[in-house]
Amino acid sequence: MTKYALYPGCLMPTEQYGYEVSMRSTLPLLGVELVDLEGFSCCGEPLKSINQMLTLTLSARNLAICEKEGLDILIPCPMCHLALSETKKILREDPKMKERINSKLAGEGLVYKGTSKLFHVIDLLHDVIGLDAIKEKVVKPLSDLNFATHYGCHLFRPSELGRPVDSENPQKMENILEVLGAKADDYAEKLDCCGGPLLPVHPETSLTKTGQKLQSIQEQGFSGMALSCPWCHKMYDSKQKKAGETVGAKLNVPVLYLTQLIGLAFGVEEDKLALDLNLSPVEKVLEGDQGVGS
Amino acid sequence: MSITDLTSRAEAQVAERKEINERLQKLQEEVSDFCYQCAKCTSGCEAHKLLELEPHKIVALLKRGLIDEMINSDMIWTCMSCFKCKERCPQKVAPVNILFTLKNLAVASGKQVPGDFTAMLQSAMGIGLIQDIQTVPTRAGETKTREQAGLPPCSKPKDPAKFQQTIMTVAMEKV
Ligand code: SF4
Ligand code: SF4
Repeated sequence: MTKYALYPGCLMPTEQYGYEVSMRSTLPLLGVELVDLEGFSCCGEPLKSINQMLTLTLSARNLAICEKEGLDILIPCPMCHLALSETKKILREDPKMKERINSKLAGEGLVYKGTSKLFHVIDLLHDVIGLDAIKEKVVKPLSDLNFATHYGCHLFRPSELGRPVDSENPQKMENILEVLGAKADDYAEKLDCCGGPLLPVHPETSLTKTGQKLQSIQEQGFSGMALSCPWCHKMYDSKQKKAGETVGAKLNVPVLYLTQLIGLAFGVEEDKLALDLNLSPVEKVLEGDQGVGS
Repeated sequence: MSITDLTSRAEAQVAERKEINERLQKLQEEVSDFCYQCAKCTSGCEAHKLLELEPHKIVALLKRGLIDEMINSDMIWTCMSCFKCKERCPQKVAPVNILFTLKNLAVASGKQVPGDFTAMLQSAMGIGLIQDIQTVPTRAGETKTREQAGLPPCSKPKDPAKFQQTIMTVAMEKV
């Protein structure tokens, strides 16, 4: 087992339980031990519009908590992953800023050094664990299913920072779905934003973006959407009904976390994947899955 | 002083403004040298189609130093921070970063912050997270708590008073 500190962020541990439950059920089957640490806070990225120094301080603070244990970090949220990655870069290139941030952290007895490596679920699965190891564990292939993937903007942009997947042609989720037995065709809107960051300011427009992408996925006949971001899941799954109303369409797209799909293919029991918490019609996929020669 | 409401400060933060202004000035020098107004950023902008944000115009206004016009406009708050403009600019200009800095300046100048940002900030300062732990609906119309979902306790700052101290010094810092 390889140990990683789990940095949960805000959204996953306070409402997107399906992501956390399915991650905790599947990653250990692939040799990953998730270590829970006390004391984390928001990464600061959702507050960047208010104060960028706050983002820098909060991110460095969370990194420092993990460094104390000498662990590399698994960051399931693309937005947190961006904040922590950017903070590492800024503080590496600007020693004065590093000093200034450390003087803030001293009050809580923390020191930021910059020693931990950062992973998201996708690059951990694809690049560290590897497709062969995933394939070995598949007992119920997701045959006859074709998923539209949605990564979350912050997982592939800005590439200058070094992101876990390619910025113009991400394929890691596609490759993983393929070894699970499913298909994942490309589609024109693949790189488009879910609209989530606009929710606090312009809810209507935000949901229009969400609805438009779902509508297009539905029209193209995909079996569902596979994703790896708690914010996007909130928009596409939790708010799918509202998004449908906003764009005047009846939406029926099963939306699942990639880790839930991995669990299904590994034969993990459904309640250990928290599939009851997906509000979109995921039965369509579950039935399809059972119907397959497994 | 009320520490939890950063976004409705009556007095503009002079020192904070100075620092953000320096950041803007640096950005201004960069864009003046590099941006040639090709509008590639705007052609892919996620907020352009629905809300008429035009990142290339933001860059042009910054070039001309029309900063007050921008921080008084709601337009800067329509960016979805998708980073497409930064990714695709042939000249390595990052309109999205200009927008972040303009929003920071608007806040430090005591402008009204739109929408739910204030609630997120207050929650983050109070409990460390932008929202507290929720009870969530199931597809069958029931509800579940984090605990009922089988999850361990949620990680939060151990000493909220010390944590608040840390972030208050950042938010109120005099440079
Ligand atoms: S910021 Fe870049 S993409 Fe936008 S107009 Fe200027 S040069 Fe073109
Ligand atoms: S980051 Fe903002 S300005 Fe840039 S393309 Fe996205 S929505 Fe437009």
